[in-house]
Amino acid sequence: MRTRVIAATVALYAGCDGATRQPPPAKVAGVRVVDVIPVSLSGETWQDAEPFLALYASNAQLMAASAFTPNPGGSASGTAPIFVSSDGGDTWTLRNTLPSEGMTADITHAVGATPPVLYSGILKVPGVPLNELKASDFLSPATMTLQASRADVDQPFVRTAQAASADRVYVGLNDFDAPDGRTATVDVSVDGGATYKSRRVETRATVGQNGPSIRPAVAQDRTVYVAYFGWRATAGSTVTSDIAVVRDDSGAGGATPFRDLLDPSDHLPGRLVATHVTIPWSNAPTLGQERIGSTLSIAVNPLHSDTVYLAWADRVGTGDIYTVHLRRSGDRGATWTGDLRTVTNATNASLAVSANGTVGFLYQQVTGSDSSSRWVTRLEQSRDGFTTHQDAVLATVPANSPPLQFLPYIGDYNGLLTRGDRFLGVFSASNAPDSTNFPQGVVYHRRVDFATHRLLDGSGATVAVSIDPFFFSVPVLP
Amino acid sequence: MTTEGRSGGGPMYTQSAMFLAVLLAMPGAAALGQMSRATLVKQSDIIFIGTVTQVGAVAVPEVPASDRTVVVHVDQVLEKPAAVALGAGDSVTVQTAQPGSLKPGSQATFYTTGWIFGQGVAVREVGHEPGHSPVGVADAQAAVARARLEMNDAALKAHIQKAAMVVAGRVEQVRPAELAGGAGGAGGAPAHRTRISEHDPQWQEAIIQVQDGIKGAQAGEQVVVRFPTSLDVAWVGTPRFTVGQEGTFLLHKDSTTGSPESVIAGRSVPAYTALHKLDVLPKQDAPRIRALMQKP
Repeated sequence: MRTRVIAATVALYAGCDGATRQPPPAKVAGVRVVDVIPVSLSGETWQDAEPFLALYASNAQLMAASAFTPNPGGSASGTAPIFVSSDGGDTWTLRNTLPSEGMTADITHAVGATPPVLYSGILKVPGVPLNELKASDFLSPATMTLQASRADVDQPFVRTAQAASADRVYVGLNDFDAPDGRTATVDVSVDGGATYKSRRVETRATVGQNGPSIRPAVAQDRTVYVAYFGWRATAGSTVTSDIAVVRDDSGAGGATPFRDLLDPSDHLPGRLVATHVTIPWSNAPTLGQERIGSTLSIAVNPLHSDTVYLAWADRVGTGDIYTVHLRRSGDRGATWTGDLRTVTNATNASLAVSANGTVGFLYQQVTGSDSSSRWVTRLEQSRDGFTTHQDAVLATVPANSPPLQFLPYIGDYNGLLTRGDRFLGVFSASNAPDSTNFPQGVVYHRRVDFATHRLLDGSGATVAVSIDPFFFSVPVLP
Repeated sequence: MTTEGRSGGGPMYTQSAMFLAVLLAMPGAAALGQMSRATLVKQSDIIFIGTVTQVGAVAVPEVPASDRTVVVHVDQVLEKPAAVALGAGDSVTVQTAQPGSLKPGSQATFYTTGWIFGQGVAVREVGHEPGHSPVGVADAQAAVARARLEMNDAALKAHIQKAAMVVAGRVEQVRPAELAGGAGGAGGAPAHRTRISEHDPQWQEAIIQVQDGIKGAQAGEQVVVRFPTSLDVAWVGTPRFTVGQEGTFLLHKDSTTGSPESVIAGRSVPAYTALHKLDVLPKQDAPRIRALMQKP
């Protein structure tokens, strides 16, 4: 095994419009970027896209991560893997503990109050039914326990909150069996996943469904926000949508949850943060080999639930392919700023708010064109509403290599969380071993020869470049 | 893995048979006696010859030591996934099927599944074939390769038996699928209504001209086979069809799209699917399939 660490230095600068700004990658002190693939899987060449991350507040060493990574042994065992770190993300192991044949389709997860409980929502292979899973000990080799299952569901997105009696689990999902085409749903469990109730959050007419992304965010005072796409009309592959946010002030455990935030236009639950935006629904390579159409993220200040941030992507129509917008509310979602950030040709926006109020904004943007185009993964953070922000380029890799194996190419989402004085997250990108691709430095545990830009298998033979999940840790602005 | 022994024909088979007979006659060969080698191979993805160096111990920090864990020095890898970095001289942590079944110094062929992959590899034992040192590596390789072949044949035969129709033929046309009630859900969901999802299979239909009706069809027939064209991860690895493609096709009545009928030349016909990798084989495999069908 050869591990290479590239040193990092410091920079901080004021931000401006992301659509035109192309700064040289700056180095930020204390950043770690780690290729999650372990040395014992040095021969892997899969497209490990759509990564996700779970953290324990009470144990900084324990983490779980996932991606579209297959069981190295194939599907015979009927299990799929999850990555586990017990040293704060420095190293990762792959463990086949998910009940899915070789790989999952969608997968997200979040932690329980008592380490190492882990909850996961997956679309199981084959057939892609929703499985809501729990591991009492995610370090155990035991297969995760099935707690609930049903078909006709898309994009389960798990968040949790810790209550005195039992974990609360919120699984945002698009439930095609919901009545009246109001498919935006949150499966809510107030008993540690033992039982779930499907709560519909859409209250308006739709085109027959909502967009795939339904994203919950939970504050420590049990305020729960949920962001969703209110799809109102379609024309060809273009969707006209509202960007809506509902809120529940008591953990969504009541009989009629998510009714605490009304829109002044119609007095219905679900504040319309933006209306009639144009969503380009493209389930084909469209942006740097990636598909587009359902980028959405929401994050609440964990200690001050009045403050909530929202990011989504749409097509502005100024020659852009896909544009990410970032807005903020300081009054529990009642009113919202205009765009604090507008990032052209970007996707996979993920938000997190640290305990000191600093917001982290992760996204992946295609820069350049044709053969020179690149996927640039950035974490921006700001504590002044993006009047200024710190910008850390975590990776800048060719956008046209390696060729896609399937969609999503790098993911329909990635993961960003915060704990203590760090933003912690995961993204997927080309693993081409070129130190200039990782301006903050990078650690590979899989075998690699940076001098010759080659990945190596266990016998020293060259391995093809592929998409890997990368963990990162960035200090929160003090 | 070397293929030595497979091309040798008779002598090597005789040698391997003798090797197996010796193994079965040895004390402690109960693991193999209780489970055929083909079964062991079927359930395994990492197979190696190794020597136990420690019991109640581990070689990787990610696995807790217990009375079921042993450390095995790898003498020879017989089968492993390409992604896995494992070779002779490595130490592997093995979670044994039965505590106390292996002693330090004992050598065996280990049939295992990958368990934990980190700084090293930890595996779960499916079974083992005890052997006295030195184990005949070439024999073991040949035996495992033959068992894998038998297992593959058994899997294919089972798949043939489940198929409603087996044909050799040529794809004459590919067209969009028109499904009653809208596009079906992924994997067995009945069709409800048109839905927009990144997992949408984007069904198309291949019209196959049957040249050789092996099971449930006659030469000259045309059959409709539905297949996903989606690039989505939920459909990765699913066979696709193109005009002019020839092959041997194992076809299953369409229970996936929720719309079991299709149309050829204005008449309603059953629709089929071929969603498993074993459902689409080279045209030259037709004789093998006939032979498997006749095999008791």
